[in-house]
Amino acid sequence: MKTIVLGIGNPILSDDGVGIHVAKQLKQHIKDPNVTIDEALTGGMNLLDLIIGFDKAILIDAVKMKNARTGDVKRFSISDMSTAHSCNPHDVSLAEALKMAERLGETHIPREIVIIGIMMNEMPCEFGEKLSETVAAAVPKAVEIVLSELGENLEISR
Amino acid sequence: MKTIVIDPITRLEGHGKISIFLDSKGDVENAYLQIPELRGFERFSEGRRAEDMPQITSRICGVCPVAHHLAATKALDDAFNVEPTSAAKKLRELLYCGYIIYDHILHFYFLGGPDFVVGPDAPPAQRNILGVIEKAGLEVGKEVIKHRAYGQKITAILGGKATHPVSGLPGGVSKGLSNDEVKEIKDMVKSCIDFAKFSLKLFDDIILNNKKYVDLILSDPYILKTYNMGLVDEKNKVNFYGGKIRVTDQEGKEFLKFDVKGYYKHIAEHVEEWSYMKFPYLKSIGWHGLKDGKDSGIYRVGPLGRLNASEGMATPLADKEYKRMFETLGKRPINSTLAFHWARLIELLYVTERAKELVDDPEITSTKIRNPVGEPGEGFGVVEAARGTLIHHYKLDKNGLIEKANLVVATTNNAGAITMSIRDAAKGLIKKGKVDDGLLNMVEMAFRAYDPCFACATHTLPGGMPFEVNIYDKNKKLYKNIKRL
Repeated sequence: MKTIVLGIGNPILSDDGVGIHVAKQLKQHIKDPNVTIDEALTGGMNLLDLIIGFDKAILIDAVKMKNARTGDVKRFSISDMSTAHSCNPHDVSLAEALKMAERLGETHIPREIVIIGIMMNEMPCEFGEKLSETVAAAVPKAVEIVLSELGENLEISR
Repeated sequence: MKTIVIDPITRLEGHGKISIFLDSKGDVENAYLQIPELRGFERFSEGRRAEDMPQITSRICGVCPVAHHLAATKALDDAFNVEPTSAAKKLRELLYCGYIIYDHILHFYFLGGPDFVVGPDAPPAQRNILGVIEKAGLEVGKEVIKHRAYGQKITAILGGKATHPVSGLPGGVSKGLSNDEVKEIKDMVKSCIDFAKFSLKLFDDIILNNKKYVDLILSDPYILKTYNMGLVDEKNKVNFYGGKIRVTDQEGKEFLKFDVKGYYKHIAEHVEEWSYMKFPYLKSIGWHGLKDGKDSGIYRVGPLGRLNASEGMATPLADKEYKRMFETLGKRPINSTLAFHWARLIELLYVTERAKELVDDPEITSTKIRNPVGEPGEGFGVVEAARGTLIHHYKLDKNGLIEKANLVVATTNNAGAITMSIRDAAKGLIKKGKVDDGLLNMVEMAFRAYDPCFACATHTLPGGMPFEVNIYDKNKKLYKNIKRL
């Protein structure tokens, strides 16, 4: 089974880049030929291009949710993320992109798409390369969750 | 006073907001668009190596990395006092054509177009690419995906990476083209030209042949008589990569034409306390509030702004389409906001034709792709991003480190116009406190025509985006709430 692990976020927008930080850590742990780890500052259609051809996709990203505690790490499945008309003014949502790919007969869509969300109350709007203390503390938690998501057969060097 | 708040603009709740204020009669008095402004970029850039700016700025926004990359690269040419080689300029422009191809296709078929192709009255759940596929057919859907991918492939070949190019350097580019790559690009470009023609035909069949849609395009709520701005070549034809910034007035006459080096003499920014977003305006006219007309310094950029600010397209097929658009919708300038969609397709045809010219040019495989840089100083760079004029301005110290950086981005240039378009769309649908059911659709169509990019909205997970209208009574208490999930 081929799996892609994607850290999503903007590496120069402080806490927004947390997914990238998690992906960087994972790269040090995982040396499994069936697991691809990558970073992406993108969404929707471009994200679709990146995950097509894999059996499973694990996306790591900052998520803003009502009543969530900043720094909590939660696991979602793609079906938890409802689609909406034009979620983003200049891209479609991943859910919409996936539906479109299905409609067009794409046969290489990952069978399972999991989202590891690092919760935030406020989305960061300040440029910077460092994570805040609370969000930085969530990185090892997210790493552990991704590792267990990848399963026991994974070749890990800790 | 009643206040209506629409909260649809980004998937990040609370970040983008439309607030509509009603007067005592219950009619629309004003509307405000509040979007987040990413802060601290100037401070973030200070002390960094200037050569890193094309990579750093391409990460400001997940939507138009190529535009930032090239604006930064051009600002560095200027800052290091170096003129890129002729081949380098062509390679950069070809890269840029790839970007406009995929970006304009994405907007027309996935974002703004569905409002028209599927229909403005269609349920929102259908006004997306899936709706377009239902209406236009599965084969069309496949062509859309194919040509969007071609645009990205062209960008990747020239830029070194798919979404975030790394090829731009002061004085040139880091990567030339091999004969094999030229052949590959030629084949893709040929197909893209046909697809652009097809898209214009689709626009004709579905939209222009439908009187209801044409009436909507020409209807009052979507008319805005602002100045128009865009880059033009020496013959005043639209140019994405370079030239002078031209501004035309409400009669379509040239009002200003200037080199980017003088942008701060002609453009100033107004600050409103309710918005993080700044409102640029023409300095010589001045800021006179959110209104259109000759006495207001507000201008529009983007596809329609560019076509209005020019005297044609530099390639034959696109120029023919340019003339047809102005003949069909009346004299220049066209003030119908919804004509942005048509203008976007004409530009799509132009960049495909232009890409053919560039890739057919024997110089495109030249290995003279970089000139040596001079001493560091101050630099200005401008390109036409998909959604409008984008300016980068840097001051370097003697070691080539950034001392000061200022960016004027496309969506900011359109801030005043977008705000007014939202207000006018709302005006037509809210009378005496009665809110028409079509409000959400019409307001959405108004801002989507501009293809606005709000940097914060580009990266988070696919989440549900509430589209919400809150109506408050004159005491600002909640009176009505319309929600779309």
